[in-house]
Amino acid sequence: MSDLSTRVNSARLPDYVGKTVRLACKPLQRSADLVTVQAADGGEVMVQLLRDVDIDASSYIEVVGKVMDATTVKMMSVIHLGPDLDMKLVNDTIELIHDPRFYTRMFT
Amino acid sequence: MSQYGDIYGGGGGFLQGGSPYSASGSPSGGRNKEASHSLRPLTVAQLLKATQAHADAEWTVDEAEIGQVTIVGQVVTIQSQTTNCVYWIDDGTGRIEARHWVDSTSEEDSAKWGGIEETKYVRVTGTLKTFGNKRYINATHIRGATDPHELYFHILEAITITLMVDRGSSSAASASGAAASAYTSPQAVSSAPDEYSHLPPLQQKIIRFISAQPRSDEGVHVSSIARATGTQGDAEKISDALDKLMDEGLVYSTIDDSHFNLST
Repeated sequence: MSDLSTRVNSARLPDYVGKTVRLACKPLQRSADLVTVQAADGGEVMVQLLRDVDIDASSYIEVVGKVMDATTVKMMSVIHLGPDLDMKLVNDTIELIHDPRFYTRMFT
Repeated sequence: MSQYGDIYGGGGGFLQGGSPYSASGSPSGGRNKEASHSLRPLTVAQLLKATQAHADAEWTVDEAEIGQVTIVGQVVTIQSQTTNCVYWIDDGTGRIEARHWVDSTSEEDSAKWGGIEETKYVRVTGTLKTFGNKRYINATHIRGATDPHELYFHILEAITITLMVDRGSSSAASASGAAASAYTSPQAVSSAPDEYSHLPPLQQKIIRFISAQPRSDEGVHVSSIARATGTQGDAEKISDALDKLMDEGLVYSTIDDSHFNLST
Protein backbone atom coordinates (compact mmCIF):
# COMPACT_ATOMS: atom_id res chain seq x y z
CA MET A 1 0.00 0.00 0.00
CA SER A 2 1.40 3.39 -0.94
CA ASP A 3 0.25 5.13 2.23
CA LEU A 4 2.46 2.98 4.37
CA SER A 5 5.11 4.64 6.52
CA THR A 6 6.35 1.92 8.81
CA ARG A 7 8.02 2.75 12.11
CA VAL A 8 11.63 1.61 12.10
CA ASN A 9 14.86 1.72 14.05
CA SER A 10 18.31 1.75 12.45
CA ALA A 11 18.55 -2.04 12.29
CA ARG A 12 15.34 -2.28 10.23
CA LEU A 13 16.37 0.38 7.69
CA PRO A 14 18.10 -1.98 5.21
CA ASP A 15 14.78 -3.82 4.75
CA TYR A 16 13.05 -0.60 3.70
CA VAL A 17 15.33 0.89 1.04
CA GLY A 18 13.17 2.77 -1.45
CA LYS A 19 10.20 2.85 0.94
CA THR A 20 8.73 5.44 3.24
CA VAL A 21 9.37 5.05 6.95
CA ARG A 22 8.87 6.85 10.24
CA LEU A 23 12.03 7.16 12.25
CA ALA A 24 11.76 8.36 15.83
CA CYS A 25 15.18 9.68 16.76
CA LYS A 26 17.32 12.19 18.59
CA PRO A 27 19.32 14.73 16.56
CA LEU A 28 23.04 14.52 17.33
CA GLN A 29 24.90 16.69 14.87
CA ARG A 30 23.74 19.00 12.18
CA SER A 31 25.38 20.36 9.06
CA ALA A 32 23.76 22.51 6.38
CA ASP A 33 21.52 19.91 4.83
CA LEU A 34 22.31 16.77 6.78
CA VAL A 35 21.65 15.76 10.34
CA THR A 36 23.04 12.74 12.15
CA VAL A 37 20.44 11.21 14.40
CA GLN A 38 20.31 8.40 16.90
CA ALA A 39 17.50 5.94 16.21
CA ALA A 40 15.50 4.15 18.89
CA ASP A 41 17.90 1.19 18.95
CA GLY A 42 20.90 3.48 19.45
CA GLY A 43 22.17 3.22 15.86
CA GLU A 44 23.14 6.35 13.96
CA VAL A 45 21.34 7.37 10.80
CA MET A 46 21.97 10.23 8.36
CA VAL A 47 18.94 12.31 7.53
CA GLN A 48 18.94 14.54 4.43
CA LEU A 49 17.00 17.58 5.50
CA LEU A 50 14.23 19.36 3.72
CA ARG A 51 15.18 22.86 2.77
CA ASP A 52 14.61 25.48 5.48
CA VAL A 53 13.42 22.95 7.99
CA ASP A 54 13.87 23.81 11.61
CA ILE A 55 15.25 21.10 13.86
CA ASP A 56 15.21 21.73 17.57
CA ALA A 57 18.34 19.94 18.79
CA SER A 58 16.97 19.39 22.28
CA SER A 59 13.80 17.71 21.06
CA TYR A 60 13.17 14.18 19.91
CA ILE A 61 11.84 14.10 16.38
CA GLU A 62 9.99 11.73 14.13
CA VAL A 63 11.27 11.88 10.58
CA VAL A 64 8.94 10.73 7.85
CA GLY A 65 11.07 10.00 4.83
CA LYS A 66 12.27 7.77 2.07
CA VAL A 67 15.06 5.31 2.77
CA MET A 68 17.90 6.03 0.33
CA ASP A 69 20.30 3.35 1.56
CA ALA A 70 20.84 1.35 4.74
CA THR A 71 21.96 4.38 6.74
CA THR A 72 20.36 7.35 4.98
CA VAL A 73 16.83 8.72 5.04
CA LYS A 74 15.60 11.59 2.90
CA MET A 75 13.21 13.68 4.95
CA MET A 76 9.69 14.34 3.67
CA SER A 77 8.37 15.82 6.87
CA VAL A 78 9.28 16.05 10.51
CA ILE A 79 7.31 16.06 13.74
CA HIS A 80 8.75 17.37 16.97
CA LEU A 81 8.02 15.00 19.81
CA GLY A 82 9.32 17.12 22.67
CA PRO A 83 12.26 16.74 25.06
CA ASP A 84 11.02 13.61 26.84
CA LEU A 85 10.72 10.31 25.07
CA ASP A 86 11.43 6.85 26.41
CA MET A 87 13.49 5.45 23.55
CA LYS A 88 13.55 1.97 25.03
CA LEU A 89 9.77 1.92 24.95
CA VAL A 90 9.84 3.22 21.37
CA ASN A 91 12.31 0.53 20.33
CA ASP A 92 10.37 -2.23 22.07
CA THR A 93 7.24 -1.04 20.30
CA ILE A 94 9.03 -1.01 16.93
CA GLU A 95 10.23 -4.56 17.47
CA LEU A 96 6.68 -5.66 18.30
CA ILE A 97 5.37 -3.92 15.18
CA HIS A 98 7.80 -6.03 13.14
CA ASP A 99 6.93 -9.20 15.01
CA PRO A 100 5.53 -11.58 12.37
CA ARG A 101 2.54 -12.25 14.62
CA PHE A 102 1.39 -8.65 14.21
CA TYR A 103 3.17 -7.09 11.24
CA THR A 104 0.99 -8.11 8.30
CA ARG A 105 -2.12 -8.34 10.38
CA MET A 106 -2.07 -4.97 12.10
CA PHE A 107 0.59 -2.75 10.57
CA THR A 108 0.44 -3.14 6.80
CA MET B 1 -31.12 4.78 24.90
CA SER B 2 -31.69 8.26 23.60
CA GLN B 3 -29.02 9.49 25.93
CA TYR B 4 -26.49 7.27 24.18
CA GLY B 5 -27.60 8.74 20.92
CA ASP B 6 -26.77 12.16 22.22
CA ILE B 7 -23.38 11.18 23.47
CA TYR B 8 -22.18 9.01 20.64
CA GLY B 9 -24.12 10.53 17.79
CA GLY B 10 -22.51 13.92 18.06
CA GLY B 11 -24.24 16.96 16.70
CA GLY B 12 -25.10 15.56 13.32
CA GLY B 13 -27.67 13.07 14.47
CA PHE B 14 -25.65 10.23 13.03
CA LEU B 15 -26.50 7.40 15.32
CA GLN B 16 -24.02 4.63 15.53
CA GLY B 17 -25.26 1.56 13.67
CA GLY B 18 -25.15 -0.75 16.63
CA SER B 19 -27.07 1.22 19.22
CA PRO B 20 -30.49 1.40 17.65
CA TYR B 21 -30.37 -2.26 16.77
CA SER B 22 -29.44 -3.50 20.15
CA ALA B 23 -31.92 -1.12 21.72
CA SER B 24 -34.72 -2.63 19.72
CA GLY B 25 -33.81 -5.93 21.24
CA SER B 26 -32.65 -8.04 18.35
CA PRO B 27 -32.38 -11.73 19.19
CA SER B 28 -28.66 -11.67 19.57
CA GLY B 29 -28.94 -8.34 21.35
CA GLY B 30 -26.92 -9.41 24.34
CA ARG B 31 -23.65 -9.70 22.50
CA ASN B 32 -24.30 -6.98 19.97
CA LYS B 33 -25.00 -4.49 22.66
CA GLU B 34 -21.84 -5.35 24.46
CA ALA B 35 -19.75 -4.94 21.32
CA SER B 36 -21.43 -1.77 20.15
CA HIS B 37 -20.83 -0.08 23.48
CA SER B 38 -17.24 -1.15 23.65
CA LEU B 39 -14.30 0.98 22.59
CA ARG B 40 -11.45 -0.79 20.86
CA PRO B 41 -8.03 0.66 20.08
CA LEU B 42 -7.00 -0.24 16.54
CA THR B 43 -4.52 0.67 13.84
CA VAL B 44 -5.73 2.25 10.60
CA ALA B 45 -4.60 -0.90 8.76
CA GLN B 46 -6.95 -2.93 10.92
CA LEU B 47 -9.81 -0.55 10.15
CA LEU B 48 -9.09 -0.79 6.43
CA LYS B 49 -9.13 -4.58 6.72
CA ALA B 50 -12.33 -4.69 8.77
CA THR B 51 -15.17 -6.52 7.08
CA GLN B 52 -18.91 -6.27 7.08
CA ALA B 53 -21.27 -9.10 6.10
CA HIS B 54 -23.68 -6.64 4.46
CA ALA B 55 -24.24 -2.89 4.44
CA ASP B 56 -26.11 -2.78 7.76
CA ALA B 57 -24.09 -5.41 9.54
CA GLU B 58 -21.67 -4.76 12.34
CA TRP B 59 -18.04 -4.28 11.40
CA THR B 60 -15.75 -7.07 12.39
CA VAL B 61 -11.98 -7.26 12.84
CA ASP B 62 -10.58 -10.78 12.93
CA GLU B 63 -14.17 -11.98 13.22
CA ALA B 64 -14.76 -10.01 16.40
CA GLU B 65 -17.40 -7.30 16.31
CA ILE B 66 -16.22 -3.77 16.89
CA GLY B 67 -18.30 -0.94 18.26
CA GLN B 68 -16.60 2.35 18.93
CA VAL B 69 -13.02 2.56 17.76
CA THR B 70 -10.11 4.75 18.74
CA ILE B 71 -6.96 5.49 16.75
CA VAL B 72 -3.90 7.67 17.24
CA GLY B 73 -2.32 9.19 14.17
CA GLN B 74 -0.98 12.26 12.48
CA VAL B 75 -3.35 14.79 10.95
CA VAL B 76 -2.37 15.10 7.30
CA THR B 77 -4.99 17.57 6.09
CA ILE B 78 -7.99 19.34 7.52
CA GLN B 79 -10.90 20.40 5.30
CA SER B 80 -13.42 22.49 7.08
CA GLN B 81 -16.87 22.53 5.50
CA THR B 82 -20.13 24.06 6.60
CA THR B 83 -21.67 20.96 8.10
CA ASN B 84 -18.66 18.85 8.77
CA CYS B 85 -14.94 18.82 9.08
CA VAL B 86 -12.79 16.19 7.40
CA TYR B 87 -9.44 15.15 8.84
CA TRP B 88 -7.10 12.79 7.01
CA ILE B 89 -5.38 10.71 9.64
CA ASP B 90 -2.16 8.78 8.95
CA ASP B 91 -0.86 6.44 11.63
CA GLY B 92 1.91 4.89 9.55
CA THR B 93 -0.14 1.79 8.75
CA GLY B 94 -2.54 3.56 6.39
CA ARG B 95 -4.71 6.61 6.00
CA ILE B 96 -8.34 7.12 6.86
CA GLU B 97 -10.71 10.06 6.93
CA ALA B 98 -12.23 11.18 10.18
CA ARG B 99 -15.39 13.24 9.79
CA HIS B 100 -16.76 15.40 12.48
CA TRP B 101 -20.21 16.86 12.07
CA VAL B 102 -20.12 20.47 13.12
CA ASP B 103 -22.72 21.94 15.41
CA SER B 104 -22.34 25.60 14.52
CA THR B 105 -24.75 26.68 17.25
CA SER B 106 -22.51 25.41 19.99
CA GLU B 107 -19.58 27.55 21.05
CA GLU B 108 -18.30 24.82 23.23
CA ASP B 109 -17.85 22.76 20.12
CA SER B 110 -15.54 25.15 18.37
CA ALA B 111 -13.44 25.43 21.49
CA LYS B 112 -13.20 21.67 21.70
CA TRP B 113 -12.25 21.09 18.08
CA GLY B 114 -10.29 24.26 17.44
CA GLY B 115 -6.95 23.00 18.68
CA ILE B 116 -6.45 20.34 16.03
CA GLU B 117 -3.65 21.25 13.64
CA GLU B 118 -2.10 19.64 10.61
CA THR B 119 0.99 17.46 11.21
CA LYS B 120 0.10 17.05 14.89
CA TYR B 121 -0.70 13.72 16.47
CA VAL B 122 -4.29 13.26 17.56
CA ARG B 123 -6.51 10.65 19.13
CA VAL B 124 -9.74 10.06 17.26
CA THR B 125 -12.70 8.21 18.73
CA GLY B 126 -15.81 7.28 16.80
CA THR B 127 -17.42 4.63 14.67
CA LEU B 128 -16.42 3.14 11.35
CA LYS B 129 -18.67 4.12 8.42
CA THR B 130 -18.67 3.90 4.66
CA PHE B 131 -19.71 6.44 2.09
CA GLY B 132 -19.67 5.02 -1.39
CA ASN B 133 -16.56 2.93 -1.46
CA LYS B 134 -14.75 5.04 1.05
CA ARG B 135 -14.31 4.22 4.70
CA TYR B 136 -14.25 6.93 7.27
CA ILE B 137 -14.53 7.36 11.01
CA ASN B 138 -17.59 9.21 12.16
CA ALA B 139 -15.71 11.02 14.88
CA THR B 140 -17.36 11.76 18.18
CA HIS B 141 -14.16 13.03 19.66
CA ILE B 142 -10.82 14.28 18.41
CA ARG B 143 -8.13 15.70 20.62
CA GLY B 144 -4.46 16.42 20.33
CA ALA B 145 -2.08 13.75 21.63
CA THR B 146 0.45 16.06 23.20
CA ASP B 147 2.50 13.40 24.94
CA PRO B 148 4.42 11.41 22.30
CA HIS B 149 4.18 8.31 24.47
CA GLU B 150 0.46 8.17 23.79
CA LEU B 151 1.21 7.02 20.26
CA TYR B 152 3.38 4.15 21.44
CA PHE B 153 0.95 3.33 24.21
CA HIS B 154 -1.78 3.12 21.62
CA ILE B 155 0.19 0.72 19.41
CA LEU B 156 0.94 -1.51 22.37
CA GLU B 157 -2.66 -1.33 23.56
CA ALA B 158 -3.92 -2.27 20.09
CA ILE B 159 -1.60 -5.29 20.09
CA THR B 160 -2.70 -6.26 23.59
CA ILE B 161 -6.38 -6.06 22.73
CA THR B 162 -5.87 -7.99 19.50
CA LEU B 163 -4.20 -10.76 21.48
CA MET B 164 -6.91 -10.58 24.11
CA VAL B 165 -9.63 -10.91 21.50
CA ASP B 166 -7.80 -13.94 20.06
CA ARG B 167 -7.31 -15.65 23.35
CA GLY B 168 -10.35 -14.35 25.13
CA SER B 169 -12.68 -15.81 22.53
CA SER B 170 -11.41 -19.29 23.25
CA SER B 171 -11.81 -18.84 26.99
CA ALA B 172 -15.28 -17.41 26.46
CA ALA B 173 -16.15 -20.49 24.47
CA SER B 174 -14.97 -22.77 27.23
CA ALA B 175 -16.92 -20.77 29.80
CA SER B 176 -20.16 -20.98 27.90
CA GLY B 177 -19.63 -24.66 27.20
CA ALA B 178 -18.65 -25.30 30.78
CA ALA B 179 -20.44 -28.60 31.10
CA ALA B 180 -18.79 -30.03 28.04
CA SER B 181 -15.37 -28.65 28.77
CA ALA B 182 -12.41 -30.78 29.63
CA TYR B 183 -11.91 -28.94 32.88
CA THR B 184 -12.69 -31.13 35.83
CA SER B 185 -12.58 -28.63 38.61
CA PRO B 186 -15.53 -26.27 38.66
CA GLN B 187 -13.53 -23.24 39.74
CA ALA B 188 -11.30 -23.52 36.68
CA VAL B 189 -14.21 -22.66 34.42
CA SER B 190 -15.66 -20.01 36.65
CA SER B 191 -16.20 -16.64 35.06
CA ALA B 192 -13.02 -15.16 36.45
CA PRO B 193 -11.95 -12.30 34.23
CA ASP B 194 -8.89 -12.66 32.07
CA GLU B 195 -7.16 -9.88 33.92
CA TYR B 196 -5.92 -12.52 36.35
CA SER B 197 -4.39 -14.76 33.70
CA HIS B 198 -0.96 -13.25 34.27
CA LEU B 199 -0.83 -14.54 37.85
CA PRO B 200 0.87 -17.77 38.87
CA PRO B 201 -1.50 -20.76 38.80
CA LEU B 202 -2.04 -21.01 42.56
CA GLN B 203 -2.87 -17.31 42.88
CA GLN B 204 -5.26 -17.63 39.94
CA LYS B 205 -6.93 -20.60 41.59
CA ILE B 206 -7.38 -18.64 44.80
CA ILE B 207 -8.90 -15.65 43.00
CA ARG B 208 -11.16 -17.86 40.93
CA PHE B 209 -12.29 -19.78 43.98
CA ILE B 210 -13.09 -16.66 45.99
CA SER B 211 -14.93 -15.05 43.09
CA ALA B 212 -16.99 -18.21 42.66
CA GLN B 213 -18.22 -18.02 46.26
CA PRO B 214 -21.35 -16.11 47.25
CA ARG B 215 -20.47 -12.52 48.07
CA SER B 216 -20.20 -11.75 51.76
CA ASP B 217 -18.49 -9.10 53.84
CA GLU B 218 -16.81 -11.78 55.86
CA GLY B 219 -15.09 -13.28 52.86
CA VAL B 220 -13.74 -16.79 52.63
CA HIS B 221 -11.85 -18.72 55.30
CA VAL B 222 -8.35 -19.79 54.50
CA SER B 223 -9.18 -23.43 55.19
CA SER B 224 -11.82 -23.41 52.44
CA ILE B 225 -9.31 -21.86 50.10
CA ALA B 226 -6.76 -24.52 51.00
CA ARG B 227 -9.30 -27.27 50.42
CA ALA B 228 -10.44 -25.83 47.10
CA THR B 229 -6.97 -25.31 45.76
CA GLY B 230 -5.68 -28.63 46.99
CA THR B 231 -2.94 -27.14 49.12
CA GLN B 232 -3.98 -28.55 52.48
CA GLY B 233 -1.01 -29.33 54.62
CA ASP B 234 1.09 -26.77 52.81
CA ALA B 235 0.14 -23.73 54.82
CA GLU B 236 3.28 -21.88 53.86
CA LYS B 237 2.57 -22.09 50.16
CA ILE B 238 -0.95 -20.78 50.48
CA SER B 239 -0.09 -18.00 52.89
CA ASP B 240 2.72 -17.03 50.53
CA ALA B 241 0.30 -16.82 47.61
CA LEU B 242 -2.21 -14.86 49.69
CA ASP B 243 0.51 -12.46 50.80
CA LYS B 244 1.43 -11.80 47.19
CA LEU B 245 -2.19 -11.25 46.24
CA MET B 246 -2.55 -8.80 49.11
CA ASP B 247 0.63 -7.02 48.03
CA GLU B 248 -0.90 -6.60 44.60
CA GLY B 249 -4.08 -5.31 46.18
CA LEU B 250 -6.23 -8.01 44.62
CA VAL B 251 -7.24 -9.60 47.90
CA TYR B 252 -7.65 -8.24 51.43
CA SER B 253 -8.18 -9.82 54.81
CA THR B 254 -11.55 -9.15 56.40
CA ILE B 255 -12.64 -9.88 60.00
CA ASP B 256 -9.37 -11.52 60.97
CA ASP B 257 -6.17 -12.81 59.41
CA SER B 258 -7.73 -15.99 58.07
CA HIS B 259 -10.67 -14.56 56.13
CA PHE B 260 -10.11 -13.11 52.68
CA ASN B 261 -12.13 -11.29 50.09
CA LEU B 262 -11.57 -9.94 46.58
CA SER B 263 -10.89 -6.25 46.27
CA THR B 264 -12.97 -5.84 43.14
